[in-house]
Amino acid sequence: MKKITLALFAATALLLLTGCDNKPKAEIITYKYTPAEVYKATCAHCHGDKGEGMAEKKSPALNKKTVQEFEMDLFDVKNGGLGQSTASEHDVMEHNMKKLAEKGYTYDTKAMAKYLFDTFNITK
Amino acid sequence: MKSDKIIEEILCEIEKHEGVMSRRDAMKFLATSPIAAGVLAGSVTATEARAASNATGKILIVGGGLAGIATAAKLTNMLSNPDITVIEPNPKSVSYQPGQTLIAGGVWQKSDIEYKTEDFVPKGVKFIKDSVVSFDPINNKVKTASGAEISYDYMIIAMGLMLNYGAIKGLEGEITSLGENDIVKKKVGKNGVYSIYFADGAVDTYKGIQELIAKAKAHTGPEKLQAIFTDPDTAIKCGGAPKKIMYLTHERLVEAGVRNKVEMTFCPSGDKMFGVPEYHTAILEQFKQRDFKWEYKTNLVEIDTEKKMATFEKKWLEKGEYDEDLKEYTMVSMSKKVEKKYDFIHVTPPQKAPDIVGKSPVGSAKGWVPVVKETLQHVTYKNIFCLGDTAALPMAKTGGSVRKQYGVVADNLIAVMEKKDKLPSAYDGYTVCPLITSIGTVMLAEFNWTGKPTPSFPLDPTKERWLWWLLKVYALKPMTIYGMLSGRA
Repeated sequence: MKKITLALFAATALLLLTGCDNKPKAEIITYKYTPAEVYKATCAHCHGDKGEGMAEKKSPALNKKTVQEFEMDLFDVKNGGLGQSTASEHDVMEHNMKKLAEKGYTYDTKAMAKYLFDTFNITK
Repeated sequence: MKSDKIIEEILCEIEKHEGVMSRRDAMKFLATSPIAAGVLAGSVTATEARAASNATGKILIVGGGLAGIATAAKLTNMLSNPDITVIEPNPKSVSYQPGQTLIAGGVWQKSDIEYKTEDFVPKGVKFIKDSVVSFDPINNKVKTASGAEISYDYMIIAMGLMLNYGAIKGLEGEITSLGENDIVKKKVGKNGVYSIYFADGAVDTYKGIQELIAKAKAHTGPEKLQAIFTDPDTAIKCGGAPKKIMYLTHERLVEAGVRNKVEMTFCPSGDKMFGVPEYHTAILEQFKQRDFKWEYKTNLVEIDTEKKMATFEKKWLEKGEYDEDLKEYTMVSMSKKVEKKYDFIHVTPPQKAPDIVGKSPVGSAKGWVPVVKETLQHVTYKNIFCLGDTAALPMAKTGGSVRKQYGVVADNLIAVMEKKDKLPSAYDGYTVCPLITSIGTVMLAEFNWTGKPTPSFPLDPTKERWLWWLLKVYALKPMTIYGMLSGRA
């Protein structure tokens, strides 16, 4: 038993220190709707047709953020926080996003970030 | 530093702690194992096969911690005519921070984690003991505290982060893990308030656990002593540490026979144990087995160290009106203040990018330096890269993340120097959290931005194992200090 542990231990150390990657290839996820379709169907009635936001719905404007800011925000929304037990900065939207995902309205974070920036940004 | 040096160091670590296995046994295995031989041969070939780049240009690395020095070493290895300058104020900036949990647990001493930066600055790299006070990315230069102006062609920012104890009312100070900390120590490290996030704090935490044990032994009556472990609402380095210290405290209380006199509660700002569902479930189970309590969305905002009272902001969502458009009930964010009496509280401080960089033209509204999260190139300045704790990246403030980032930065920076259109390397968000679950077991939680476990080994990653404890206590430090800091692993 001791020998087995020793063997695993040494192999582990060597694999890690040489940076050997034997991870499975990332699976390809397909999305039911394009970012534009998701936006029109589920985002626009709170964030506005031009991403201008709506004070009465407490929905922030999306027309001044950079692609990088969108990526971080959308990651936070979909993941529910950026750490192990760290609070999401968007707790209401995190809840809404779960409901939308159940209905198929999910998206690739990078693609959505690019769509939002390209379509709505007024500071370009 | 060659791989055999790392193995030598691992053997030394094993030898320091008698009874794990004999050095002779370990040596014998390493010498005869076909796996070991194969892997070593592979790594050597890979390193030698790579042709050095002839690209030139002055590279300035701001910050000489693990990320900065590892990148300096990698670039030194990859460039035939490297011109690299590192600016770092702290003479012990390369110290091994992941060891701070083990210091608090009474497994290591502070001297086990201290390393001198000067011993690890790669040959040929110019090292300046100073700190940057302003950035001028338009004109490609920085100013330092001593008044010098340093220009560069390419810059890498690896300044780490600040432990912002002062953001909690009743505490003071904004410090780093191994710098000056007198201001924080006025309130932290005594009277039941402890924090392992700086090295001296970790030493004090060990004492604090002993005090808690003594108090528990003398304690009578039906009410239990209260031990609280917090986790703030900012990004933090080593997302597992707030829980690791809880497991270690539990272990020491069990050992002393007083666990039944102490109630242990985890109070994180968030609403889960881990972003990866598999690890969340595993940790929840470990919590139940140890009779840990937890209260989600309970964020520490104030400590009254005199009254030993902690105030938390508790948040929740309440059902609002039905939204015809959404076809769902809207949710309203609610919050209230909650007070909790403590006998022992472990504070994980709110954390932020250093203001010098965060509020500079290369920073962002949130402070963290904005980069394309895969290439680690600055979003605005194409000759600037950022890695490590300073970078605006999800879930990636660990040494394990840096291990996957510094090669990406080196590859992509060289591509920029060679005027290539496409950056060749991408970071996938890999992070590893060796979650110490007891003295003798670790759950090796590896994951990336897909939100799924990404184990490097064909073993169930949700299980606590002695094997990973050995890895954490004996192998990871030599791998980091002698593998990463030399840019080879």
